This record gives sequence, C-alpha cells and structure tokens, in this order.
Amino acid sequence: MWPQWTSMLPLWQWLILAAIPPAIIALYFLKLRRQPLLVPSTYLWRKSIEDLHVNSFWQRLRRNLLLLLQLLLLLLLFLALLNPTWQGSQLSGHRFIYLVDNSASMSATDVKNQDASTRLDLAKRRVAELIDGMKPGDVAMLISFSDTGYVVQERTENKRELKRQLQAIQPTQRTTSIKEALRLATGLAHGNRPARTGSPEKPAAVPDATEEPATLLVLSDFRFDDAPDFSAGHLLPKLILIGSPDARNVAITSFAARRYEDKPQDLEAVARMDNFSDQERKVAAELSLDGRLIDSREVTLPPQGQQTVAFPLANIDTGALTLRIDVQDDLAIDNTAYTVIQPPRRGRVLFVSPGSKEWEKALRTGEAGKVGNVTRQGPQYLLTDEYQRHADAGEWDLIIYDRCTPKKMPRANTFWIGRIPPDEQWKKGERVEVPTIIDTERTHPLMQKIEVGDFIIAEAALLKPPPGGVSLFDAAEGSIFAVAPRESFQDAVLGFEFDGVNAKGEPVNNTNWPLRSSFPLFVHELLLFLGSGITVGEADVLRPGRAAELKSMTAGVTAQVRTPGGRTVSLPVSGETLSFTGTDEVGVYEVQQGPGPVRQFAVNLFSPAESEVRTRPEQRFHAGDATISPGENWETVRVSIFKALLLLALAVLMVEWYIYNRRVYV
Amino acid sequence: MPVESPPPILSPALLAQLERLELVSRKIYRGQMKGERRSPRKGQSVEFADFRSYVPGDDIRFIDWNTYARLEKLFLKLFLEEEDLHFYALLDASPSMDFGSPTKFEFARQLAASLGFIGLVRSDRVRIETLGQSARAPGPVFRGRRSLTRMQSHLSGIEPVEKVSLAAGVRNFSLRNSGRGILVLITDLMDKEGYEAALRYLIARQMDVYVVQVLSAEEMEPELRGDMRLVDCEDDDFTEITTSAPLLARYQRTLAEFINQAREFCNRRGVAYSLARSDLAVEQLVAGYLRKQGLVR
Repeated sequence: MWPQWTSMLPLWQWLILAAIPPAIIALYFLKLRRQPLLVPSTYLWRKSIEDLHVNSFWQRLRRNLLLLLQLLLLLLLFLALLNPTWQGSQLSGHRFIYLVDNSASMSATDVKNQDASTRLDLAKRRVAELIDGMKPGDVAMLISFSDTGYVVQERTENKRELKRQLQAIQPTQRTTSIKEALRLATGLAHGNRPARTGSPEKPAAVPDATEEPATLLVLSDFRFDDAPDFSAGHLLPKLILIGSPDARNVAITSFAARRYEDKPQDLEAVARMDNFSDQERKVAAELSLDGRLIDSREVTLPPQGQQTVAFPLANIDTGALTLRIDVQDDLAIDNTAYTVIQPPRRGRVLFVSPGSKEWEKALRTGEAGKVGNVTRQGPQYLLTDEYQRHADAGEWDLIIYDRCTPKKMPRANTFWIGRIPPDEQWKKGERVEVPTIIDTERTHPLMQKIEVGDFIIAEAALLKPPPGGVSLFDAAEGSIFAVAPRESFQDAVLGFEFDGVNAKGEPVNNTNWPLRSSFPLFVHELLLFLGSGITVGEADVLRPGRAAELKSMTAGVTAQVRTPGGRTVSLPVSGETLSFTGTDEVGVYEVQQGPGPVRQFAVNLFSPAESEVRTRPEQRFHAGDATISPGENWETVRVSIFKALLLLALAVLMVEWYIYNRRVYV
Repeated sequence: MPVESPPPILSPALLAQLERLELVSRKIYRGQMKGERRSPRKGQSVEFADFRSYVPGDDIRFIDWNTYARLEKLFLKLFLEEEDLHFYALLDASPSMDFGSPTKFEFARQLAASLGFIGLVRSDRVRIETLGQSARAPGPVFRGRRSLTRMQSHLSGIEPVEKVSLAAGVRNFSLRNSGRGILVLITDLMDKEGYEAALRYLIARQMDVYVVQVLSAEEMEPELRGDMRLVDCEDDDFTEITTSAPLLARYQRTLAEFINQAREFCNRRGVAYSLARSDLAVEQLVAGYLRKQGLVR
C-alpha cells in the first residue's frame, strides 16, 4: 500500500528547493554563535566534554538538535509538496443519500468473516466509514428500506447526528422493495441547503440544473426487483453489495393447514422447504400446536431443491401451529413458520333471484352447504323492511343479486349477475355478442382454481369497475367480470346473465358455463371467498409489515392485539373491520375483543427472495434505463495526507521554537 | 599598601566570637619567641617536664633541693617551655578566585583574616602570603592583638590578579619561609598542571598543612543554557559546549571525582582537606565550619 506521489512543483523549482537543506546546514554551522562566558577554569568542562566525546554520535545529534528539527521541518514540507495520496474510502461528490437495506435477509449472519454479526451491522459500519470520510460542507441523508422506505435522517451536515441515527436503524423481518425508497430519495434529493435536523424538508419540485447530482449509495444484498419506472434523474446511483455468495440457508417458504379433499373433516399441515445452498441438507422439522410438540420429521433437501412435507392433523379443529426446522444456517427468521387453524364458521349468504335453476343447483351442493348457509329470496324481498334492516346491520356475508338491484348498497360482500351495483362507481358499457374470453386474472383468489374459456356466452355487457377494481374476465372488447373493493367489502360483478329470454319471450340459456365442471367450483370459491366468515387477511399469507384485516368485529369495543413479542396493543374498533398494521414480527398474533373469543392470525416471511441469501455479484440492477451493477461507478477520492503533513510541520516548528526559547535540556 | 582605609574584613561581633578560639596544631613545633604554646624546648613555664643532672653553669634556681636532701645529688628541675606558633595563611590570589558571589577570594580573605586573628589573640606568629609573591619577598609578620589593623589592611591590599601556577607559588612560599608551623592553603585547586606537585612541596616541609578548597556556587551547580563558549579567565583557553542534561550530569560527575581525588590525595599524606562553598556565611564559617574541620577549638 504505497502512496502515489503527485508533485505540486515542476522540476526546476524542485532543483531550487534541493539547495535549501545544504544551505541550512551551512548557515547553521557558519552562524552558530556561541555565547562567550568567562569561567574560573575550563579544566572541569574540558574533562567532561572529553568524556562525552568518547561515546558519541548521539551526543552530536543532541548538540545539533535544532538543526535536525529544521531539517525535519523541511522534509515534512517537501513531503507535503510531493502530495502523497492513498486510495481511500472517501467518495467523490458533496451530497450523499445512503439507502440502507434493513429487510429480513439483512439479518443473515454470513458476514462473520468481515467482523460483523449481521449484514445490517456490516452495512451500518460501511456507512459509518463513509460518513467519517465526508468532507466539511458535505451533506448526507439516511434512508432505511425494506418493503417500504423510511427517512431515518433528513439531509444534514452533522456527522455525529448521522451516525447516531445510523445506529438506530434496526433490522426488520419484512421483504424488500426498493421502489418506495428510491421514490423518497428522488423526492428529497433536491435543494442545496442542508435542513436542520428534524425539520421537515420541502423537496424542490424541479431540480436545479446547475446543482451537483447527489450520490445515491445503496447498501443491500440486492434481493429485490428492478425499478423499471425509476428515473435516476439527478442521482448517481452506486451500489454496495453486502453479503457473501456462499451463504447457506434452509427456509420454510410456505406452510398452511388445509382439509383433505377426500376426508373433509380432517386437516393436514403442508409445508414447503427450500434449500438455498449447494449441499444436500438434512433437517429435522418439528411441528407444535400451541407450543406443544405434536409431530416431527426428518427431511432431506437436495442441493438447490425443495421438498413438500405434509403432517396429518387428526381431530384438531383450532389452534396455532408452529413448524420449526432445526438447522444451522445464515438466516434464522425463515426457519420457523406459523399458521392458525381457524374454527369453522359457516357464512350467511342471501341469494336474490327471480329464479335460476343452475344457480340454485350449484348452491344446493353439499360442498356449498358446508361453506355457507344460503337463503333464497325473490327480487320483491329487496323492497321489504326486513331486508333493509338486515342489509344495514351486516347480517349477511354475501348477497348474490341475480338480475335485480337493491335501492342502496348493503353492508355485505356482493355478487351481481347481469346487473351493476346501484352506486355511481360502476359503469355498464355496450353489450357485445358472443364475447371471447381472452384473459383471466389467475392470481385472484376467486379464479385460482378455475379453468375458464371452455364455455361460450351469447351476450354480455362490458364493465368499467371503479378505481381499485380488478378485471377477472377480459373479452376482446373489454372486461365482462370484475371485482372491486368497497370499504371493507368486495363487489364482484358479472356482465352476463345465465338465464335470458329470446325474441319470442321464451327462456333460454345465455351461457353454457353451468354445464362445465368449472362452474360449481367457481360457486364454491365464490362462497368461500366472499361468503365465508374468513377474511382475506386471515386466510391468506400475511407477510410482516402488511395490514391484517379482521372482519366481524363488534364496533365500539376496544380490541387487544397481543404480538408474538408479548407486546399488547389496544385498538379502537370503529366499524366491523379491524385493521392492524403493527405486524412487524413473524409469529402468531392474538386478538381479543371484550370477553369474546381469542382470534388468531399468523405472520410469516414466506419469501423465497428473502430466503435466498446468496448474493450474486454479477447481478445487475435495472433502474429505469440504467443498468447498475454492484461496485460499478465506484469512484473513490484519493486520500491525501497533505494537510496532515503541514500540521505536523507546524508542530515541529513549535517544538523547535520551544526548545530554542526555553533551552530545554535533552 | 592601599592608602585609603578599607572596609573591615572582620566585624566586631565576629571578632568577639573569634577571641574565644585558638588554633589547633596537630604537631608541636619550636617557636621563636615566648608564646602561649607548648614547645619541645624545656623552659620556664610552671608545668614540670623532667629532671636532669646538674652541670656547672646551670641556673641554681632550678636545682631541686628536695631531691638533693634525699639523694645528696644535684638535679635540675626542667619545666615545659611555652612558645609562640607559626601560622601561615597562603592565599591563592589568581583571577580564577575572583568568581562567585561573594567571590571565592572574598571568602578566602575572610577565612585568612579569621584564622589570623585567632592566632594574633594567642600571641602566635601570623604570616599571610599569596602564591604570587616572589621567593625573595616574604610578607609581613603579625604578632599580638595590636597587629589586627595592620593585618586587615594587608589583606585588603591583596587583589586576585596574580597569574602564577599553584606549584610555582607553593615552591616560592617554601623558599621564603623555612620555619615550621601551621599552613592553611586557601585555593580552588583549579590548576591545569595539577595540584599534586604543589602539595608535595608542603608535605616535604613537614608542616601541619590544611588545604581549604573554595568553590563557588557557579562551579558546583552551573546554570548554563544553550550554546556557550566558555573562556578560561587565566589562560584564555576556551571550550565550546552545548548544554544538555547529560553534559551537566557529566560535569557533576567530573566535579565530584575531582573533589574526591583531592580529598583522598590529602588524606593519604596527612594533609587536612576541607571543601568550602564561597557563599558560606562568615559566622557559620567560623563557629561551625572551622571548628568542625578541626582547625580551631
């Protein structure tokens, strides 16, 4: 690690400077003026000096201490002029935005060889080093991000405050998404004046063209997707890859309790485990119910492979299941998974129809009967006070309107056949004949198990769902089946009837879907998804940081939510739905409202992206048009000790002055 | 001899103090005149010394008639003779003595005066000389209390300007004075040719020799700083030094060695050696210091 020398002077000036040391030596000996002093006798002095002369190069040095100090001073000045520099960790630029990833994968412990306990610790140390390297006048901002971004420290020059806030960044158990953080960084990047600590900063709407671009430093293991809509604009993104490509991890990537298809009264717990390493791993999986071990299994995971394991759960109706795999790996959070067996509850479904054989048949099946308790009524029922009272009180979980419309929307999930809801949000377009379904939204819970497209529709109306709505069936002309949220409810609208009338007024079938096997399945899913008491939040995978929505709460009674960490949060319940956002930990959360039963929901990481902790240095990150790879654009300023040398020279000068004035004995 | 009256070297209070003291000689010498000291000669004091047979011509007053009555032989009673003591103070009046505060020479002069006065009071024969006197010009002799003023003015007249080596000065002294007695040599012993030869002259004379080495505070604890050119006041020889802690430590060692060598040299040859700092007060000098050195009692 030798310095690089960059002379500040041309050669001829150096030649002049080279003459200075001999001149100093010459002048020193020429001008050495000893103070004459008359003494009684030089006898003893002469003897003393003779003794000293015997031993002594060092005595000479001592005698010429001032000369030596002068030469040292000169040497330091020359060195300063040569300006030695080292490759340092100081960054070029004056404005920095540090994006520190604190997602779940940053808790990986594969950086022990770099003297850090976790990746986050290492990232924090790197940032601290970079903060130390900031020059006076440099400003920096600190953002932590997991699935969302959080401004830890607004733009400031105060290094101490930056480092204090840096240390305050805690690991989270959330997944990673850089988009929000990038959006924050872009928004806050502009404006030259450092904001006072803690004061809210107004981002300048238009960046000043003359302004120097801010350096955006992302410290992460890069387990996130590209940000195609991100425009780097006035930012110079630089990536620092934290983590090792050799990290090993075994993870539970999914875990759920479900009913056997052939024995619906019994449950089984199904888990999928992934091995994110190149070695075969044998892990012991232990399943416990409410903390009590009920089953265990040894699972062999092939390299890079996965394994699905099913645990039969006989005679278990309710409780919290915990699956733990006993394995030494670099990420601990995904070694445990939780799920909650919800007590069965039958939904209440109102089917309002002028009469539809297919629907009534489908709703009468045994499977449908298990999911929900279906009440049938004619369209005139909608005009009764009873209907209105029940609809306003939220008596029904789901109301199916077949070719009829109530005066106002009920407090329930709704499914519309051939009509649109009476509120202004939904728009009905033109009618199309024999629409061809060209796309279905397979990811929606309603559609996951259904294969459509093998039936034909005679006539359908095109639908325009309100904002937030999702089209489930897309015909060439537009959507003919869509679902949209309304408050805490879901409205699904089908643009075609099942029973139509022909020109002669005879009843005809508008579609042959009821003849296909997908139809009863669809009705079952419909009842399950919209008509059962199980809410989306309870039934689906809930990841850390996502809001848990609990339906069927009693309004006005405070709910107590107990987190896996043992913290109890009191939440006022205003409507029927409780939305709890403090799901930062994985584990089982318990909700109790008044003296009512304890309800549970589980939060799991279940993210292969987070669990795959091996970093890929060759990975590219696409932000807008730019492709950035870790380490690219990694320009550092050469660290110069020019100033330090000058300060040292000054110190030598002061020592010399002191010795000269005080005649210090050495 | 200076014409003006010099300031008295000894104050009246000191004189009163000195009056009670006497010079102590470790040897008994023959004097020249009747004095107050025991002499090896038999004489007429009251103190009996011995008997001897009468021979014609002896003073019949000293015949011991009681012995004659018993033995019928004539014996002469002999008595101890008391004589004066020869006291010499030999001052080093070289320029090197003119250093210190007070100067070493001042100190030497006071010491010589004090001792001389003690001798005067005891009717001893006091002679104060310097090393620079020639072999043929002996200094004046003082005897009796009345000579005090004369002695003081003689001392005041001596200036530390004589450039003569220690050995030469002592040789000249020996040539001038053949008598025996107490010799107090007051010097700094700083002679580049060495003090040994000089002291040997004195030892050869079988005198009761006291050497008082006077050193100034500046010599014992030099306070020098920086680059110096030390010039010898006697021979203009110079030494260039750059003061440093090791050099000063070295000087202290050299000085201690020098003093020890001198003391050892003297002790081995029966010469009483003592070291004095020139800034010692006169009262302390006499009452404490000289008594402790065994020169007076």
